[in-house]
Amino acid sequence: MSFSFLDMIILAVLCLFGIGIYALLTMRNLIRIIVALQLLVKSVILFVILAGNITGQMALAQSMAATVIVADTIVAVLGMALAVQIKRKTHSLDTKDIAGLRR
Amino acid sequence: MKNAQSILILFVILFPWLGAIIIVAFRQNKEKGQHWLASAISLLTALAAWLLLFFNNTLIISIPLGGIFGNIEFVSDGLAILLVIIATSIGSLAILFSTSYMKGESQLSRYYSLILLFIGSMTGLVLSSNIFYLFVFWEMTAFCSYALISFYNDDPKAVRGGMKAFIITQLGGIGLLIGIMMIYADINTLSIPEILQSAATLPTLTLQIAGFGFLVAAAAKSAQVPLHTWLPDAMEAPTPISALIHAATMVNAGVYLLVRFYPTFKAVPGWNMTIIIIACLTSLLAAIMASVAFDLKRVLAYSTISQLGYMVYAIGVGGLFSSQFHLLSHAIFKTLLFLSAGAIIHSLGTRDMRLMGGLNKKMPFIRNVFIIGSLSLSGIPFLSGFWSKESVLEHGLEHGPLWAYTIMLITAGLTAYYTIRCVWMVFFGESRSHMQPHKISSMMKTTLTPLALGSLTTWLLAGPLSKFLQSSMPFHHFHTYSFWEPFLSVLTNPYTYLTLAVIVVAIFGFFRVKKMKGLIHEVRGIIGFAEKGLGFDELNKVFVTPTLWLAEGLRYTQTGILNWNIFGILLGLLFLISAVLLGGI
Repeated sequence: MSFSFLDMIILAVLCLFGIGIYALLTMRNLIRIIVALQLLVKSVILFVILAGNITGQMALAQSMAATVIVADTIVAVLGMALAVQIKRKTHSLDTKDIAGLRR
Repeated sequence: MKNAQSILILFVILFPWLGAIIIVAFRQNKEKGQHWLASAISLLTALAAWLLLFFNNTLIISIPLGGIFGNIEFVSDGLAILLVIIATSIGSLAILFSTSYMKGESQLSRYYSLILLFIGSMTGLVLSSNIFYLFVFWEMTAFCSYALISFYNDDPKAVRGGMKAFIITQLGGIGLLIGIMMIYADINTLSIPEILQSAATLPTLTLQIAGFGFLVAAAAKSAQVPLHTWLPDAMEAPTPISALIHAATMVNAGVYLLVRFYPTFKAVPGWNMTIIIIACLTSLLAAIMASVAFDLKRVLAYSTISQLGYMVYAIGVGGLFSSQFHLLSHAIFKTLLFLSAGAIIHSLGTRDMRLMGGLNKKMPFIRNVFIIGSLSLSGIPFLSGFWSKESVLEHGLEHGPLWAYTIMLITAGLTAYYTIRCVWMVFFGESRSHMQPHKISSMMKTTLTPLALGSLTTWLLAGPLSKFLQSSMPFHHFHTYSFWEPFLSVLTNPYTYLTLAVIVVAIFGFFRVKKMKGLIHEVRGIIGFAEKGLGFDELNKVFVTPTLWLAEGLRYTQTGILNWNIFGILLGLLFLISAVLLGGI
C-alpha cells in the first residue's frame, strides 16, 4: 500500500486537527490551550491550500490562507497577553482555578 | 433636502444610542452632569423628530447589506413619524422628570443609558421598513423594558416583575418571528411595502398563521388578555419608566404592528373577530380590576391595559384612524397621570391609595393636572380623551357587532368609575395617614404643564392627523376629515350622549356605592377575585414557571471551565455542519 502526496497531506491535516481538538478538550494549562488552537488553525490552513490545489483556485486559497494567518496571529498574541495578565492576577494558569464565572 | 431628511431619520435612531454610550463612558461624572447630559440628548432627539414634520414627502432610506436579511430600510410615513414624535417627546419629558425624581439615586448612568437605548430602539422599530429589523428593534425594546423594570435590582419583586415581562413579551416575539418566517418562505422578501403589496398573492394558510402570529405578538406587547399580567407587575419600575415605556410608547408597539399590517391580514377569516373579542375582554376585565385595586400605579396600569383594548378594538372594526387618534391622546394623558402619580409617590413615599386622601389642599398643582388627566381618561367633554374615545365608539357602532359596542360602552362607564374612585381616594376625603408631602420641585411642574396642555388641546389635531396619515400611506385606508368634521360628527351622533349618560351614571354610582356597605359585603368574593387579577396570573404561570425552571437547570452547564465551553462550541459546530449537509442533500 502506497501513499500518494495528496493522501499524506490529508493525513497530516487530520492528524493536526485531531491533536488540536484533543489538546483543546483535555489540556488545562492556558498556554497549552493556545498552542492547541494554533495546531488546529494550522491544520485548517493546510486544508484550505489543499482545497485550492484540488479545485485549481490557488490564488484564492493563498489569499485566504494569508488572511487566516494574520487573524490567527492576532488571536495568539491576544491569548498570550491575557494569559500573562491572568498569571499575574491569580498566580495560576490552570483553567479550573481561574473559572470565575462558575455558578 | 432629501439628505437632510435622511440624516434626521438616522439621527433619531442613532443619536440616543450614541448618547447611551456617552453616558456610560462618563459614569464617573457628578450626578448633576448625568442629569443634564441625558436631558440634552433626549431634547435634541425630540427636536430632530419634530423637524421631520416639515418634510411632506415619504422618504425610504435603504442601506444595502446583502444576504438574506435584505437591506436596512427606514421609511418616514405618517404612522412612523407620529410614533417617533410621541416616543422622543414623551421620552425627553420623562427624562426631565427623572432629573428630579431620581435625584440622589445610585447607578444613574445605567438608568439614563437604558432609557436612551430604549428611545433609539423605539424610533427604529416604527421607522423600520424591513420586517426582520423591525423584529430586532422589537426585541431591543423588550430588553430595555426588562432591564428598567428590574432597575432596583436588589428588590426581588422588581427582578421578578422584569423577568415576567421579558418572558411574556418573548412569547409574542416568537409569534412575530413565526409570522415573519412564514411570509418570507412564500414571497422571499422582508420589505414591508412589498409584503403589503403582495398580500393578495399569499396562500390563505400562510396568511392565517402569520396573521395570528402577529396577533399573539401584539397581544403580548400591548398587554391584551390573556397575556396582560406582566404590565401591572411592571409597575415596580421607577415611575418615569412606567410613564414612558409602560403607558406611552412600548405598549403601543403592538397596536402599531396591527395597524401596519392591517391591509395584509384584514381579509383573513376570523382575524378581525378575534381582535374584537380580545379587545373587548381586555378593556372590560382590566377596567374591573382597576376598579378594585388599591395601588395607585396598578390602577393606572390596568387603565392602560383597558385603553389599549380600545385601540385594538378600533383596529378590529377597521377604524385605523380612530385607533391612532386614541393612541395619541392616551399617550399624553396617561403620561400626565403617571408622572403626577410619580410626584405624589415621590413626595409621600407610598403607592397605597388607602394611605393617601386629603392631598387636595397640600398639593394643589398636582391635583389640578391629575384631574385634567383623569377627566380626559374618563372621556369628559371637551378633553382629548373624549373626542378620541367617542371616535372609537362611533366607528365600532357603525362597523362592528352590537355586543362589542355594548361592552365598550360599559367599559367607558367603568373607566369613569375607577377614575373618580382614584381621584377621590388620593385627593379628597379625610387624610388617612400622617404623612407630610414634600414640596413638588419646579422641574416636575415644568414637565407636567405641557402634558396637561396637551391633554386639553391635542384633539384639535384630529383633522390634520387624518390627512397626514392618509397622504403618506398608500396601502392603508384612513378616514380623512377636514378640521371641524371629526368634532361635528361626534357631537351630532346621538350615541355620544348615550356614552355621556353612562359616564354620568357611573360617577353618581361611585358616590352611591360608598354608602351601600351591604352590597359591597355581598360581592366580597368577586371583589377579592378581581383584586387577585381574575386568575390570569395562574394562566401566565404556565409560561413563566417552566421558563424560569429551565433557566435554573441550565445554570448547571455554566461550569466556567474552558474545556467544557470548547466542547460546547464544537458540538454546536457539528450540529451546524450536519444541518447544512442534510439540507444540501
